[in-house]
Amino acid sequence: MDAWIEFARGPLFRIALTVMVLGLGYRVVVTVAQIASAWYRAGDRRLPLSDITEATVKWIFPVRLLRTRPAYSAASFLFHLGVVLVPLFLIGHVALLEELLPTAWPVLPPLAADTFTVVALSALLVLLVGRVVSRSARVLSRTQDVVLLLVLFATLFFGFLGSNPTVSPVASRTMVLIHILLGDLVLVLVPTTRIAHCVLYPFTQLLFQLGWHFPAESGRHVAEVLAKENEPV
Amino acid sequence: MAIECSYYLEPVDTTDLAQRFLKAFAAILSHSNYAMVLDAACTVTSRCGRCTSTCPVYQTSNDPRDIPCMRSELLLKIYRRYFTPGGALRSRFGVPWELDEAYLNTMAEEYYRCTACRRCKLECPMGIDHGLITHLGRWVLAEVGIVPKALVVATREQLEGDTHNTSAIPKAALVDTCEFLEEDCVDEHGLKIEFPIDREGGEYVFFPAVSDYLLEPDTLTGNAAVMSATGGSWTIGTGAFDGINYGLFYSDRMLDRIVSMEADEVRRLGAQKILIGECGHASRSAKYFVRTFCGADDAPEVVNFMEYTLDAWKSGRLGLKKRAITERTTYHDPCNIARSGWIIEQPREILRHICVDYVEMTPNGRENYCCGGGGGTVSIDEIREFRTKVGGAVKAEQIRRTGAELVVAPCANCKKQLREVCEDHGLDHVRVVGLHDLVLLALDPPEHMVVRGDAAAGESSTEVRGEY
Repeated sequence: MDAWIEFARGPLFRIALTVMVLGLGYRVVVTVAQIASAWYRAGDRRLPLSDITEATVKWIFPVRLLRTRPAYSAASFLFHLGVVLVPLFLIGHVALLEELLPTAWPVLPPLAADTFTVVALSALLVLLVGRVVSRSARVLSRTQDVVLLLVLFATLFFGFLGSNPTVSPVASRTMVLIHILLGDLVLVLVPTTRIAHCVLYPFTQLLFQLGWHFPAESGRHVAEVLAKENEPV
Repeated sequence: MAIECSYYLEPVDTTDLAQRFLKAFAAILSHSNYAMVLDAACTVTSRCGRCTSTCPVYQTSNDPRDIPCMRSELLLKIYRRYFTPGGALRSRFGVPWELDEAYLNTMAEEYYRCTACRRCKLECPMGIDHGLITHLGRWVLAEVGIVPKALVVATREQLEGDTHNTSAIPKAALVDTCEFLEEDCVDEHGLKIEFPIDREGGEYVFFPAVSDYLLEPDTLTGNAAVMSATGGSWTIGTGAFDGINYGLFYSDRMLDRIVSMEADEVRRLGAQKILIGECGHASRSAKYFVRTFCGADDAPEVVNFMEYTLDAWKSGRLGLKKRAITERTTYHDPCNIARSGWIIEQPREILRHICVDYVEMTPNGRENYCCGGGGGTVSIDEIREFRTKVGGAVKAEQIRRTGAELVVAPCANCKKQLREVCEDHGLDHVRVVGLHDLVLLALDPPEHMVVRGDAAAGESSTEVRGEY
């Protein structure tokens, strides 16, 4: 068992982490390049930067979020809080990272980490139920939307059992192994699924605003390609 | 199969329709910034359904096809399948899917059930702009001939017809109308106004929604009265005098051509600025796309008439009587000028001054609800029931709650739609007017405008007409 755990938290983790870092790096580089290119091509390069900044910042805080569908929104906020804080600040995770690179951030006390984990798990349940109960969310949901939530739930759940042997129904080392394997899977999924918004979020409001800033020659070029320059309306 | 929608279409050539759609889509993606938008939408969408809580169409219809995210998915599915490596692989080794006419028929219907009000963007944490994706989808559809007949016929007349305006008003009729309005203003209000025609070298060239010449004489008279009172340097150009721009609703190519026509008219007349009348989409299309298509910093500046009037009043060049309007009055924010935050407070400052009983709708401003006729749908008469009973239901309830008798809607499209909404929702006591209809009634005219004698009898009308 220990050998498997060492493999999962060693080479496998490093591969998964590398995939995540490179994948997210690629996502960011491509997105920034697209934004730069779109801005360069735009006929009107003036952008309402204060509006864009405000729209970006306001969604980080839950006040705005809670105005609509409060239960679902609160769950979403708490879930995000948990999945950001626990992976980055849990003492075990920080120790694991320190084997690869120097880390200089504080760790969560075990009780706080457990609390955040339970809160995130509860929030995930609400989100899952919301996906089923809410007609619009149910209609909209793709397989990946549900599967991702289940994978994240399982990762947190087995992690919690692994770090709390007294409440674990089976050997906690088994729980730890499952947790690490799922964690490695999540790392790979981060850049390849919608979880990529963790790094793309700062750009999205800008990007969609910039989408309205068309290249000056776009219509004429399209007409040329489609041989419609002289075609009547 | 033929393409069949709830709106009228000109005959659509269905030969290789899907292939032609993909070719047009590819051409647009190559020469625009839309690929960036679609890539981001594909990546970050969480399909949470928050947009359903803000869409006035979905709130009433409760029909999943009206969920903004669902509508965008129709185009995103094509994009992923044909323009991303992952989509091509999935189709080859997973679930094969090919675009066909039936799918395009669905798109054709559903992309015109959206009023393009962009309210959904406010509630999307990722800022996904379904209005922009709908705008793109409509453009691609238009390139294969799928566009409401009402929009394309009007645009054809504006760009290539003899009259160069969407209502096909001949120049002689325009001049006659202006002369009639000048005489009518003397008779009704005892005020001398002027509509300068083709006067060169002025500051502004005026572009109202051309339908105002047929349907909104009080708005136009109010515009002219403000100009006469302030000594404004303006003119109407007979080369182009229509601010309507249906290109905003279905084709960037047409959008470009129409704003370019406006800028050319300003240059022909040696003027400096474009002055847009009371019309939301005309204002937005000029404000944001004259710069895009007509030379950025070299393009003529665009001013909305309400901005001009407020500036004139605040600087003391325009006198307005306080509390001149006695009926309970509310204000409808046209999406095209309010969603960006451009024009929200300007008309309100005037209304709070001239109205005895001004009340707000809730929500308003940037978060206003669409009248239900946005995105060009107001011009499609054959879908009136959908527009008023579905698209306009939330707005009707908003108006009802204010208890207002007057709804000020500074937009030709909103006015037409709101009158129909009021009619279809039993709000018979409500009159829908323009801001300048009320400004005209509240005007404290300078001496040079006042006509004395039998014609005017020194008494001005204070009746709000509101409908013709």
